[in-house]
Amino acid sequence: MATSTLGEYLRARGVSRRQFLRFCATSASLMALPPSMVPRIAAALEVARRPSVIWLPFQECTGCTESITRAHGATIESLIFEAISLDYQHTLQAAAGEAAEHAREKAMKDNWGKYLLIVDGSIPTANPGYGTIAGVSNLEMLKEAASGCAAVVAVGSCAAFGGIPQANPNPTGAVSVSDVVKDKPIINISGCPPIPVVITGTLVQYLTFGKIPELDALGRPKAFYGQNIHDRCYRRPFYERGQFAESFDDEGAKKGWCLFKLGCKGPVTYNACATTKWNNGTSFPIEAGHGCIGCSEPKFWDKGGFYQPLSAGDWGSGRTIAAAAGAGVVLGAAAAALGRKRQKDVEAKQS
Amino acid sequence: MTLLDFARGPGLQWSVAIFVFGLLWRLVGIFFLRTKPDLSEPRNPAKWKGLRLIALRSWPRKEFLEGTAFGEVMGYTFHLGFLVALFFYVPHLLFFESVFEGLLGTDFEGIFGFRWPVLPTAAITFLSAVSVAALVAVLIHRITNPVKRLISNFDDYFSWLLTVAPLATGLLAYAHAGGIRYETLLGTHILSAEVLLVWFPFSKLIHAFTIFAARGATGMIFERKGASL
Amino acid sequence: MSAPNQDIDQKFPLELNEPRFSVKDPKVRFDMQGDMSDEQRVETAMRNFVKDFGRTAAIYMESCIHCGMCAEACHFHEVTKDPRYTPIWKLEPFKQAYKREYGPFALFFRLFNLKPKVTHAQLAEWQHLLYDSCTVCGRCSLMCPMGIDIATLISQARHGMFHAGLVPHELYAVAERAKREGSPLGATPKVFADRVDWLADDHEVDIPIDRDKAEVLCTMSSIEIMKYPDSVVATARVMNHLGVDWTFRTDGYEATNFGLLSGNAAWQKQMTMKLVDAAIACGAKTLILPECGHAYQALRWMGANMNGKPLPFRVLHMAEFLAENVREGRLRLKKVGKSVTFHDPCQVARRGGAIEAPREVLAALGVELREMFPTKGTNWCCGGGGGVVAIHRADKLRHKVFQIKMDQIEKTGAEIPVTSCANCRQTFDDGQAHFKWDKTMHSLLEMVADNLIEDDA
Repeated sequence: MATSTLGEYLRARGVSRRQFLRFCATSASLMALPPSMVPRIAAALEVARRPSVIWLPFQECTGCTESITRAHGATIESLIFEAISLDYQHTLQAAAGEAAEHAREKAMKDNWGKYLLIVDGSIPTANPGYGTIAGVSNLEMLKEAASGCAAVVAVGSCAAFGGIPQANPNPTGAVSVSDVVKDKPIINISGCPPIPVVITGTLVQYLTFGKIPELDALGRPKAFYGQNIHDRCYRRPFYERGQFAESFDDEGAKKGWCLFKLGCKGPVTYNACATTKWNNGTSFPIEAGHGCIGCSEPKFWDKGGFYQPLSAGDWGSGRTIAAAAGAGVVLGAAAAALGRKRQKDVEAKQS
Repeated sequence: MTLLDFARGPGLQWSVAIFVFGLLWRLVGIFFLRTKPDLSEPRNPAKWKGLRLIALRSWPRKEFLEGTAFGEVMGYTFHLGFLVALFFYVPHLLFFESVFEGLLGTDFEGIFGFRWPVLPTAAITFLSAVSVAALVAVLIHRITNPVKRLISNFDDYFSWLLTVAPLATGLLAYAHAGGIRYETLLGTHILSAEVLLVWFPFSKLIHAFTIFAARGATGMIFERKGASL
Repeated sequence: MSAPNQDIDQKFPLELNEPRFSVKDPKVRFDMQGDMSDEQRVETAMRNFVKDFGRTAAIYMESCIHCGMCAEACHFHEVTKDPRYTPIWKLEPFKQAYKREYGPFALFFRLFNLKPKVTHAQLAEWQHLLYDSCTVCGRCSLMCPMGIDIATLISQARHGMFHAGLVPHELYAVAERAKREGSPLGATPKVFADRVDWLADDHEVDIPIDRDKAEVLCTMSSIEIMKYPDSVVATARVMNHLGVDWTFRTDGYEATNFGLLSGNAAWQKQMTMKLVDAAIACGAKTLILPECGHAYQALRWMGANMNGKPLPFRVLHMAEFLAENVREGRLRLKKVGKSVTFHDPCQVARRGGAIEAPREVLAALGVELREMFPTKGTNWCCGGGGGVVAIHRADKLRHKVFQIKMDQIEKTGAEIPVTSCANCRQTFDDGQAHFKWDKTMHSLLEMVADNLIEDDA
C-alpha cells in the first residue's frame, strides 16, 4: 500500500478524473498559483508516492482531528487525507497498546529520514508525567520521532504555538513543537482548529513540489496565512463606513455590520477563514455573527478578552500609573520649594 | 512578546505612567511657585471675566491676521486634523473607552448617556493626510522663515517629528504599506503614540495644558486693569 | 555742587535743547556700569532674573511654542524684518535662566546642560534687544496665541540687566540722575518750584504749591516741566477752572519713574514712595498723574504693590480725570471743529485700560475723531517708550519705526494728531524734526485748557 501512487489510490477509491482536476484547481487557487500550474499539480499528485505519516497527539483536545474527520460527506480533502499512509494516529487507529507502538516503530524504521511527522497538541515540560503514551513522555516521544522525519507538520495552535495548554499560568509548562525540534523543517498549521482544507492543502503542496512551502514569520504556509481576516472580510465595507454592531442583538448586528467593537480580532489574525470558510464553504465565525477570536495567532488566549476591542489597552493593575502620579506630585512640589528657596537666598543676600 | 503586545501592554502602561509622572511634576512644580497679590485698586473687580481671553485668543484680532494667517490656518488644520483623528476614529474611541472601563468601570455611554459619534474611515484618512501635509508645511515654514528658524530649538523639531509620527504610522498601517504585516504597523503606530506621550510632559507639547493657564492668567491681570485683551 | 555730582554731570551731561530731552550723545559710551568681572555680571544677572520669577512668569515660560507670531506685532521687526527683534527672542537669556535655575526641571537642565549657560557676550548683545529695540509697548502680548504677556517679562528681565550693570549709557544716566536729584532731566525740587513761580507770573495763573492740605495732588513729568511747561499751566488752568482743592508738592511732583524703565526695582520703589508719601502728607483723596505713559503704569498699577498695601487715595491719569469731569457735566468745552486723530499711549491705553477716557474728552471738544488703523488696544507704539527715546544709538532704528506712525496718521487725513503722553509727544517732535514732517503732536490736556468755557456770570 505504502508504495502505490496517489493517483492509483484515488482511482481505486472511485474519484473521477474530473473531480481530481477540480480538486487540483481548487488547491492551486488556494495556494495563489496561476491556473497554468493545475496540470503540474495533477501530474505531480498522480505520481506522488503515498508518504508514510506518523501522527502524534499530545496535549490536545482532538479538535484538530475532529476538524478533518467531521468534514461533511466524502470530500476529496478527506480522501487526500486518507490517501496518505497514516501509519500511526492513536486516536483513529484500530490498534492499541503495544501493537500500536510497534506500528509506529516499524514505520519509523522503514521510512527513516523520509516520513512526515504530524503533531497536534502541545508538549508538557513541567512534569513528564503530565503526558505519556505507553510510558513514554510526550517530550521524549517527540524528540525520538522527530529525529528521523523529513519534516514536521504542527497541526493546530497547540502544536504550533503552545495554544490553550500554554495559556497563563501554563500549569503543565506546555511548549510548542518548534520549542523542542530545532533541526527539522517545521510547518505550522495554526488554528483552533485549523481549517481542514488548509491541512490537506498544505499536504498537497508538499506532495506536489516535494519541498516545504513558503512560510511566513511564524512558520505558516504563506499560501493560506498570507492575509488577515479583516482584509478579506465581507463585513469590511461596514468598518470603512463606521457602521458597527454595538451588541450581539442590536440593529447593527442584525444588519450584519462590522464586529470590531465587539472584539473581532480579524485585523491581526492571519488565516483563510474569510476565503475558504468552513463546512464545505458554508460559513465562518464572523458570518455566523461572532467576531474572530484570533485562534490562529500565538497566545490568542492571553491577549485580553475575546470581546475586548482590538485597540483597547491592557492597563494592568494601574498601580504603576498611580505610583507615577504620586512621584510626580512629590517631585513637582520639591522643585517648586527649591525654586522658592533660591529666591529667598537671593533676597537675603541683597538685603 | 510581539511588538503589538508590548505596545498594548507594558508599553502603554509605562508610557502613560511616565506621562502622568512628568505632567504632574511640571504642573505641580509651576503651581506651587510663589505668587504676589496685586494690591492695586482694580478697574474691573470681576477679574475672572478676563478668563474669556482663553476663548478670545483662539483667533487673532483682525489687525494681526495679515501677518499670521499662514500660521493660524496651518496650525488649526493640523491641530484639528490630529484631534479629530484621535477622538473620532473607531479604534481610537474603543481605546478611550477601555480607559474609561479601566479607570471608572463603565463605558462612555454609561457616563455621558450618549454614544460617542465616530467618522467613516475615509474621512479620518483624509483628515490625517491633510494634517500631515499641514505639518510638513509648518516644518518648511519653520526652516525657511528667518524668525522661526532663529527661535527654534531641538524641542521644536523633535516634537514635530513625534507629532507627525502617529499620523504617518496610522496612515501606513491603514494602507498596509510596503507589505509589512498589519500587527507590526499597528504596533509601530501605538508605539509612536506612546513615545509622543513620554515626550509630551517634558517638551513644548505641555502647551496643550499651559495654554489655558497662560491665557487665563493674562486675561485676569489685564481685565483687572481694563487693559486690552 | 559737590564733587561726585560734578563728575557725573561731566560724564553724563544733559541736553535740553533738542526735540527730545536726554543726556548728550556721548563720545565715549558707558554701557556697562560698576566694577564687576564678566562672570560676576552673568552671575548677578542670573540671580536677579531668578528673583523675579513666580507662578505667572513660569506659566509663560513653559507655554512658548516658538511660533514666532509675536514678531508680527513688533514695530521693530515690522520695519527691519530682523528676526532678532522677535519679542520672545529678546527674552532668550531670561528663558535660559528660568530653565536652568528655576523651572520644575531646572536640576536636569543644569545637570545635562540642556540649556546653555548664559554668557557675558550674550547679555551684552541682549542689551540692545532688551532696551534699544523694545518699548515695552505690549503689542506682542496681544498677539501671542498662548497669551504670554511678553512685555511684563521684558520689564522683569531688565531688573537682572540693571543689577549686572548692563544698562545703556543714557538710560542709566537719567535713571541715576532721577534717583540722585529727584528728576531725570534736572527738574529738581528747586528748579520745579522756580518754574512754577515763573509760569504763574508769566501766564497769570494761580499755581498752588506745597499746600499742607489738599483734596487733589497733581504731579508732572520732567519732560513737561522742562520741555512742555504749557502743560504745567494747563494743569493749573483746568484745576482752577473746576474749582478743585489742589496743589503741587515739591516733595512729590515727579511722576516719571526711571527706576522702572531702567530696571532698578529699589529705585522704582523710592520714586513711587515719594508720590505716595506726598499724597498722604497733604491728605489728598486723589492723585492725578500727568500725561505720561509709564507713570501711569508705575503708580496706578504698581504703586500699591511698591507701597506694600493699598493706596489710601485714588490714582487717575489726567485723561481719566478730564473724562470724569466731562461725564459729570462739570467740564464744558468749546467746540474745536477740527479733525483729530488720537494716538493711544501704550501704557495708558493698551496696558493701562484708559482707552475710552481720552475719546470722551475729544467728543466733548466736538472734534471729528478719525481713528487710525489699527487703533486703541492694537495701535502702533510711537517707538520712544520704555526709555528707548533716550538712547542715542537707537535713533536710527527708532526713526524707522516712527515711519509706521507717520503713515498711520497720514492715512487718517486728520488735521491734528493728539495724544496724552509727554514721552510720546517728544518722540513725535523728534520724528517730526528728523523727517521734516508737517504734523505736530498735540497734548489733550493743553487742548482742553485752551478751550475752557469760562462762565464768570
